[in-house]
Amino acid sequence: MIKRLLPFLALLTLFVALSIASPSFLTSQNLSSVVRQTAVFNTLALGMTLIIISGGIDLSVGSIVALGGLAGTMAMAKGVPIPIGVLLGVATGLLCGFINGILITQLRIIPFIVTLGMMGVLRGLALIISDGMPVHDVPKGFQYLGEGTILGFPFVLVVLIACAILVHFILEHTRLGRYVFAIGSNSDAAVYAGIPVNFHTVAIYALCGGLAGLAGLIEASRLSTGQPTAGQGYELQAIAAVVIGGGSLRGGEGTVIGTLIGGFIMGLLANGSDLLGINPYVQQALIGAMIIVFVAVDELRKRRS
Amino acid sequence: MLLQMKGVEKRFGGVTALRQGDLEIRAGEVHLLMGENGAGKSTMMKIIAGMQKRDGGDMIWQGQSVDLDNPKQASQLGIAMVHQESLLAPHLSVAENIFLGREIPGPFGTVNRRKMLAEATRLIAQYGFRLQADWMVGRLSPAGKQLVEICRAIQNGTSLLIFDEPTSSLSEAETHEVFRIVRELRERGTGVIYITHRMEELRSVGDRVTILRDGATVHTEALATLTKERMIQYMVGREVNSIYRRDPLPPGEALLSVTGLSTPDLLRHISLNLHAGEIVGLGGLMGAGRTELCRAIFGLDPISTGSVQVAGRPVLLRNARQAVAAGIALIPEDRQRTGLARELPIAWNVTMANLDAVSPGGVIRHPEEAKVTKQAIDRLRIRCENGKQRAGRLSGGNQQKVVISKWVNRGARVFLFDEPTRGIDVGAKVEVFEVMDQLAREGAAILMVSSELPELLQVADRILVMSQGHLVGELPRCCTQEDIMRLATVPPDSGETLQ
Repeated sequence: MIKRLLPFLALLTLFVALSIASPSFLTSQNLSSVVRQTAVFNTLALGMTLIIISGGIDLSVGSIVALGGLAGTMAMAKGVPIPIGVLLGVATGLLCGFINGILITQLRIIPFIVTLGMMGVLRGLALIISDGMPVHDVPKGFQYLGEGTILGFPFVLVVLIACAILVHFILEHTRLGRYVFAIGSNSDAAVYAGIPVNFHTVAIYALCGGLAGLAGLIEASRLSTGQPTAGQGYELQAIAAVVIGGGSLRGGEGTVIGTLIGGFIMGLLANGSDLLGINPYVQQALIGAMIIVFVAVDELRKRRS
Repeated sequence: MLLQMKGVEKRFGGVTALRQGDLEIRAGEVHLLMGENGAGKSTMMKIIAGMQKRDGGDMIWQGQSVDLDNPKQASQLGIAMVHQESLLAPHLSVAENIFLGREIPGPFGTVNRRKMLAEATRLIAQYGFRLQADWMVGRLSPAGKQLVEICRAIQNGTSLLIFDEPTSSLSEAETHEVFRIVRELRERGTGVIYITHRMEELRSVGDRVTILRDGATVHTEALATLTKERMIQYMVGREVNSIYRRDPLPPGEALLSVTGLSTPDLLRHISLNLHAGEIVGLGGLMGAGRTELCRAIFGLDPISTGSVQVAGRPVLLRNARQAVAAGIALIPEDRQRTGLARELPIAWNVTMANLDAVSPGGVIRHPEEAKVTKQAIDRLRIRCENGKQRAGRLSGGNQQKVVISKWVNRGARVFLFDEPTRGIDVGAKVEVFEVMDQLAREGAAILMVSSELPELLQVADRILVMSQGHLVGELPRCCTQEDIMRLATVPPDSGETLQ
């Protein structure tokens, strides 16, 4: 209970403090921009939640953002309808994640190494297929994904909430989700219980890849270009969101709500610093320090119980 | 008098681990410390060894009142501890581990490796250990690691040595080796405190016993005058029927048939049958291949030849899933590492091996799961708040029951119990035996690996004995410990026949 309360209280405090400190904070324009800015790594963080609960890590999601975005925009530039282009981007991410999962389970290399390697391979691939050049030739309607509004709300918020509900449902109510916890909590016990560990591991890496592909399209839509350099360093932001939200890199712990709260805490810190005119260099250090503080408090709580 | 502890107290947050710890140790005596898990033994020892600070009471060392802030101060006084879990660095050599944290310095802040190696070799030779100073610790057996721990503890002028369950992971022969060392220390006038769960082995080594219960010292007496029944009574605070004896059933159909099973590295042509309603013991020394046999039957290790059948149907031994599907259950020796998902709720552990039954179409039906869990908790009498409690919070015996319930819920019919009572209280042991008996009565076939011979004799209907990867013999339930040991130590290719 306390576990979910702490990040939530931090988010609430941050929200109230910023509302008081800056008159331009509590405007629909500003809040929409926070939502849009955080949408990409929040989507990544949802997939990362699954991976981290299973005791793994995926460092390649930032590169998948670029590759998925490119695949979608390049197809659209060639005249493919927007929805098909979006599906292509997601499918590209799914495939990348699937390959991650296969390498991890078949070569029995730890996820950190596999996805570190794939981070480079996929980034290189993105640069190769685009020849290092951004794809500008994107249909106008594609911008709706990242910049559009529905009933006054940013459309990406709807997309994010839909993904969050999906991942939450998987984690809390499906066999797949239960096995993710089992594998993360004690993978030996999972094997001994006859759980098809490899199958489920591949499934969650593929799912995480698919979400990263979607994040790539959101990024491309917001920039209205496909960028081979997009998403650099996003994997770390995604991991940070999960960890601030109570996920444990030792596996077996984490929630979707926590991750979203973690993501928004980071988003508000960045936004608040901008509004209050805090130097962006200081911002970086601030967010970094927050990660350590949250995890330290969490560890303290665990040790006491 | 070497050491006196008077009314020692220790609290962790709101929990009182020790409220009235009294203990007196004389020089040159082996003093056994007994009590159930959570009685406060380890806490008291950690206070003596300077690893924890006491909240109240007195510690008097050779007539002087002392306060220890860290293990280093304790070791300066001559107090050292051999830990239950190995606290060694696996990638370093025996010598480097012995001198870990107090390396012999060379010039310019370097370490004098040659001198350390020589010192370690001298120490090892002095006690006649089967070790070499340049061996890598990670490659040693549990017994070997224990010896390194002992070397670490006794290196310079130790006058009080604490052993925290030194033999819990050792075989019979290795246990005798530890006893030999303990006796030698006693003869040199060293005081020894020895924590253990295994009462059978104590008689040969201890002088006096102190028993703790619920954080307080309840009794001290010479070992020679204290009967086992009274000892248990002091430990649990009530009378316990420790002499568990099972009434065997007439065995039913053959449920598990293993034929000519070999693995590339250890097992050689193992054949055995387990019948419904039967509990079969599996004895042998450490490394005889008992755990390996369980793992092979369960499909965890690749086999080179042989086959396994459950109720007449062949089982593919490719992975654990095939074995689980065939109705085989493995309750592994290392509960914490391979049996239980400690951070997860009891309910999730209970349904782990049979989640499909409560998740039609891949979606978990939580009320159904709660119902199944409630049944399991009632059936195995798991003492817990409710099914949502984290499994790791339970006592050892109840954790073991959760692991067993996973398989009961799966409907397994062949149970492989590997050291089912390791690290479990006296009272809880009997409960685990009762669960096994109950399973057998309901038609399960049970194989029980145990290094504690009295346990095998109490529970098993017949006892199979392994030695060096071979199944060397079978004994009836009325056999003696000596019979088992004799078979277990027979080299399997000596041609000696079994009775």
